[in-house]
Amino acid sequence: MSGTAMTLTAWGALFGRDLRAFLRSRSQLSSSLLFPLMLLAILGIGVSDGLDPSRLEDGDYTTFLVPGIMAMAALFSSTFSSASFYQDRDSGMLKVFLVSPHSPAVILLGKSMGGIAIGSAQALAVLAIASAFPAIDLEYQYGVLPSLLLALLTIAGLNVLLSGTAQLLASRIRTMQGFHLVMNLVFFPLLFFSGAFFPLGDLPAWLRGIALANPLSYAVDLLQLALYADGGDGYIGLGPDLAVLGGLAVALFALGARRNPMME
Amino acid sequence: MATSPSAVDVSGLVVSYGERRALDGVTLSVPVASAFGLLGPNGSGKSTLLSVVAGLRTAQEGAVRVLGEVPSPELRRRVGVVFQESCLDPLMTLRETLSLHGRLFGMGGEALRRRIDSLLARFGLGERAGDTVGTLSGGLRRRLELARALLPEPALLLLDEPSTGLDPDSRRALWEHLHEVRAGGVTLLFATNDVTEAERECDTVAFLHQGRLVAQGEPAELKAGLKRDAVLLECNDGRAATLSREIAGWPGVGQITPAGATLHVTVDDVSAFVPRLFQAGGDGIRAIRMEPSTLEDAYFDIAGAPLHRSEEEIS
Repeated sequence: MSGTAMTLTAWGALFGRDLRAFLRSRSQLSSSLLFPLMLLAILGIGVSDGLDPSRLEDGDYTTFLVPGIMAMAALFSSTFSSASFYQDRDSGMLKVFLVSPHSPAVILLGKSMGGIAIGSAQALAVLAIASAFPAIDLEYQYGVLPSLLLALLTIAGLNVLLSGTAQLLASRIRTMQGFHLVMNLVFFPLLFFSGAFFPLGDLPAWLRGIALANPLSYAVDLLQLALYADGGDGYIGLGPDLAVLGGLAVALFALGARRNPMME
Repeated sequence: MATSPSAVDVSGLVVSYGERRALDGVTLSVPVASAFGLLGPNGSGKSTLLSVVAGLRTAQEGAVRVLGEVPSPELRRRVGVVFQESCLDPLMTLRETLSLHGRLFGMGGEALRRRIDSLLARFGLGERAGDTVGTLSGGLRRRLELARALLPEPALLLLDEPSTGLDPDSRRALWEHLHEVRAGGVTLLFATNDVTEAERECDTVAFLHQGRLVAQGEPAELKAGLKRDAVLLECNDGRAATLSREIAGWPGVGQITPAGATLHVTVDDVSAFVPRLFQAGGDGIRAIRMEPSTLEDAYFDIAGAPLHRSEEEIS
């Protein structure tokens, strides 16, 4: 077997293992999907009916929330998947992987693939379920198929970025509890200042400045442009979004894959 | 004189963790198809040496050649590793565990399936192939780990204290499997702090003490070089501990290994030791026997420290 074929086989094996573990863990499967959907229903309907957000298109906050909730689902999933690194290190499986004929980078990339695929699938599941409700009226301004492809690309890029960030954090934090704490401290503020829950266009300048320094804002903006927006006014724009998300995803993933997996 | 080829050659190996030197200039050579034991107490550098040979760690100084090559990911195709602690995913089935490992080693398809079936049958795990690892006993887990390490048909098998924590039956079964493996031409390099195991199973034993190689040779050769006599004292109830403390300070007394009401003691000169013993505590002693020396005695004699630390030292 050639070197490339061996690497691909190893990636397939590691990816398949994490996917199987995820599908067998019903609590992880249901909680990571149910929470975003509950938030979409309760927060969306509550704000739409109770607060009358007239500045939004058609005053429909539930539809506005869909792209942000997709980003949140990807973020949750990425956190869960990154925790599997700690499980593998504590169970000794990581050492077993590292004595196989592959470099540490190949092993880390293989492990990340499961997280990226699961995160993307969950975000798209949120979109599929939300689209089934008549009250949710997505625009797909570039046409349904191109918009869906753009959303898919964005979600995949976002998961690559999150996976790289999680791997970098995991190289500094020794315990799973510490990792979850830091992930919550880093990722939740990023989510709140990303435009996932309120439009960035009408924010005060200082708050908009913070949002523009937040990598997650560009993913949420892309998803809103692909699925929700009817035009580009008030949004960051396709070009900057793709450049920032793509550049950061590649850079952070490359940095994350270069770390020492045994933390020594 | 022709020298036999080596499976592992290390020379002047130095590995440090911060200020502490885990390996301090270790040089040794493991002949092909031999059983080579690394004997030393916890913290003597055995596991670190194995991890360097396995390619998990890089030495700061020195040279390593494994199966004639410098360690590399590609070389790891020919090296199997069984770690000291159980390294298994409790939620995977036995077949999934072996399949994942086989695919990481570039195996697949029908050949992999046949190899897994053959190993499961050989290690008596065939009926449990679909069970999850979490349901296995410690002995069966060890067998599965050995099967996993042998899956890619390695030429060198590294084992870090492979029988630790196993009951006597599981330990015997494990060694029966390892004898078969060795008969197939695989070199065994293993770390242990079990003297009986090292004495029975090794062609060559290397004594490691505080990261240094202090002696190397056949077990019988190492014991033959021992300058001390060994004596077994059978003590009356409750006297072993007191007697052990008392004789520990006497000149010429070396290693004292208590086991229940008996003390295994090495002494420089048994003809001077026994009369003094009767003077000091004859009423506490039921019997005295001359004993064959053990590798543990040889270790103490050479390293100047016991192989097993007392509970007080450990705490």
